[in-house]
Amino acid sequence: MIALTNLALTAGKRTVLAGIDATFERGAFTAVLGANGAGKTTLLRGIAGLRAPAEGSIRIDGVDVHALPATQRALRVAMIAADEVVLEGLTVREVVATGRFPHHRWWEWNERPQDREAVARALDDVELVDFARRPIETLSSGERQRAWIALGLAQETPVLLLDEPTSHLDVRAAHDVLRLLRGLCASGKTIVCVLHDVNEAAAFADRVALIGDGGIIAAGACDTVLERTNLERAYGIAMERAPMPDGSVRLFVPD
Amino acid sequence: MTLRLAALLLLALCASAAGLLIGGTALGGGEILHALMHPHGAGVVDRIVWDLRLPRICIAAVVGACLALCGALLQGMLRNPLVDPYLTGVSAGSAAAIAVALMIGVAPAGLPAIGFGAGLGAAILVAALARRGSGIDSNRLILAGVSLSTLFAAIVTLAIVRAQSSDFAGAVVAWLAGSMAGRDWHDLWTVLPYAGAGIVLATFSVPALNALRVGDVRARSAGVDIDRAQWIILAASSLLAASSVVLAGMVGFIGLIVPHIARRLVGSDARVMLPACALLGAALCTVADAICRWIVAPAELPIGVLLAFIGVPAFLYLYLRQGAPR
Repeated sequence: MIALTNLALTAGKRTVLAGIDATFERGAFTAVLGANGAGKTTLLRGIAGLRAPAEGSIRIDGVDVHALPATQRALRVAMIAADEVVLEGLTVREVVATGRFPHHRWWEWNERPQDREAVARALDDVELVDFARRPIETLSSGERQRAWIALGLAQETPVLLLDEPTSHLDVRAAHDVLRLLRGLCASGKTIVCVLHDVNEAAAFADRVALIGDGGIIAAGACDTVLERTNLERAYGIAMERAPMPDGSVRLFVPD
Repeated sequence: MTLRLAALLLLALCASAAGLLIGGTALGGGEILHALMHPHGAGVVDRIVWDLRLPRICIAAVVGACLALCGALLQGMLRNPLVDPYLTGVSAGSAAAIAVALMIGVAPAGLPAIGFGAGLGAAILVAALARRGSGIDSNRLILAGVSLSTLFAAIVTLAIVRAQSSDFAGAVVAWLAGSMAGRDWHDLWTVLPYAGAGIVLATFSVPALNALRVGDVRARSAGVDIDRAQWIILAASSLLAASSVVLAGMVGFIGLIVPHIARRLVGSDARVMLPACALLGAALCTVADAICRWIVAPAELPIGVLLAFIGVPAFLYLYLRQGAPR
């Protein structure tokens, strides 16, 4: 379980988020929603231990992540970053094998059998086994996103954080990625995922944390959080809910 | 991969053999072998081999290896293929200090120490300007390196323009063009501990360099202590660049291009790429130095000039024929 207590996070001298108290349940898929610049990525980086809190604490299974050395932290939580420049020519397998870094001491340079198994398992989970030798830049956006997820899986952490994994993806590729994350949750991973599409969150997430006004506007089950007042407060625009025949809801901006 | 490294080692050994054979005085293979067996021999050939050619080969190999390693470290850390060893400000700082030292009449024997100290001082200044929080900001590093190098270059130009004697201007220009003329075993032994320290630090950074290939944030998420890794890589590159600058002045091309060729040959895995860079840089520099000694004998061509004239067109040909190197 991830527990945020009175958390405040800053970017430079600006306070982005403050007074955050929230918990993310073990084995749940939590979607983090909010307008651009609301602080979603900042929150994710804080949980990943990449940004120190200005106040409060972030605990994963009772352990303060910011008190841990980098490699110990990386055994508990992995973050899949959005766009970032990669060295050209890296193969998918080399990318995924980077996830084994925290499992090695600094003098252990070579792959061990358990590393090869973990990398193979991660590639298999994201259905990229046949792409292992391909340079990462030759993959489509959807395939590349799956490769980044495999990197996080190879890290073998109980918590996986993803920053906008469906951005730039077509409907099918986005659906594949979200279905994959849903499956990972079913196998026990705790997933916290920043999304832009509220309908993706409503369809795939167990819980939603809606960010805005420098804090969390609402957090909880999708049905209770994704309602008109909360959404208008978060995005500054009125949204309507439409019930679907299967019992789910779709959110849209009326004309 | 081991085979490719072995092939590069063989290439470096062949380059050394060529360096022993090539020179102002024509020597046969047998004579050279005999001289190699007699390090304390008093014959002319023994002295040519042990006092002139062998130290030059070793110095050229160390310079080439240091520059290529330094380029590979900085390009890997910044994921920028256009970065070269002189980004750290080492060479420009050394050049400015040596120009000023020559101007105020410091004895030639004191110049290497001054160049080394000033080079490291400039690197520390660049690092201090690039510092952000407990780590280094890549963009600031490039900006600080380029800006300070320009400032130091202006000091050198000013010193040359205001020089009273042409000897002084000639000495500074020769140093800027890069040359190993007049260097001996003593120079090599003086520099070797610093180059060795640079290599040890580079070795420490191998796992982090590999992880950094996927980007800073992903590497940090995978458990890399980026701040520490950046300081180690910067310290290693500064020591390696300063070592080469003291031995040979400013030798361009190798630190920029050899990492590209090495990546094309063995990939970007630092475990293999760094030794490949060192071997390839050593081989290239040794052969280039031998040609410099021979082509206009008894005079010498500055190695920087030769490398630019031959190496750049050769690299551009490869680049345009086979596509951009990885």
